[in-house]
Amino acid sequence: MKHWNENDFSEWLYGLKNEDHHLEECPECRGEMQRLRTVRARITEQPEISQDFLAAQRRGIYRRLYEPRHNWAMLRWALPAVMVLVMVFGLTLQRSRRAAPAISDEQLFSDLTAIEQSAEPRAIAPMHKLFEQ
Amino acid sequence: MGVMADRLGASLDTQASTREFGTWMASEQKRIFLLCRRLLQDVEEADSATQDAFLKAWQALNRPELKELEDAGRWLTRIAVNTCLDRLRSRRWQFWRKRPNQQDEQSILELAATGGPNAEDHFFATEIAGKLEGALEKLSLRQRAVFTLRHYEDRSMAEIAEILDLDIGTVKVHLFRATAKLREELHDLYFRH
Repeated sequence: MKHWNENDFSEWLYGLKNEDHHLEECPECRGEMQRLRTVRARITEQPEISQDFLAAQRRGIYRRLYEPRHNWAMLRWALPAVMVLVMVFGLTLQRSRRAAPAISDEQLFSDLTAIEQSAEPRAIAPMHKLFEQ
Repeated sequence: MGVMADRLGASLDTQASTREFGTWMASEQKRIFLLCRRLLQDVEEADSATQDAFLKAWQALNRPELKELEDAGRWLTRIAVNTCLDRLRSRRWQFWRKRPNQQDEQSILELAATGGPNAEDHFFATEIAGKLEGALEKLSLRQRAVFTLRHYEDRSMAEIAEILDLDIGTVKVHLFRATAKLREELHDLYFRH
């Protein structure tokens, strides 16, 4: 007959192990079980709490019941939102600085005319340079 | 769970009155405060969490869409546990947080004078119970919540699963891991004579 060990009793105490056939037959293990029940009851006994403390806590709760509600959840999102806005603004500013320089209408029309009049596409030009040497 | 809690649950068709709420609060206050203290390990923070939990309960009770509660005590426990878990999560970032003052704790809490036959028993209970509470820091947040509800509140697996919104299998896994991590403390608690 194999007696229950410490692990068995611990698991039983916390509902992780069910009572088995052995316990029905073994007065020693049943006695240990009873002892553990008593110890547990003593250990988990609720401590006394100062009545003054509890009364002050209740006053605090009552006071808060009728206070206007603040929406702290909004504030929680305020800082990340501000950070995102700053980042977006920074990126936009950086991009606008990097944007290609504006060209005059005159320059634009002259480029378009050159493209139109040329028999070859402009992309061929680099290839010509290869054969020039 | 007190009778008032059931009465409150039954009276939720209408708005919860302040007086009914006050009576219910008084019947649940000590249990909820102790639960918060065990989870947070700090009297001041537990005090604040308890107030938050009752405030949230009051606000929820006054919402017209709230259906009748099956078990108001369990519902309140769920609110309190979630409030504490939120605080524990945000505490991870609070490196400046001051440690709880042991003297303040002593002035608020005293272990009940046990019905035990001698002072040695009482001393043993206080010492080991304190050691176990301190060791809860070893556990993850979920494990701590599961173990606290099982050990101190003697909740069933099904109740714990409902309170923490987990399935029973997950609760068992958390509890198994928690008891494994607390093996030494549980040994001292139950088997060292």
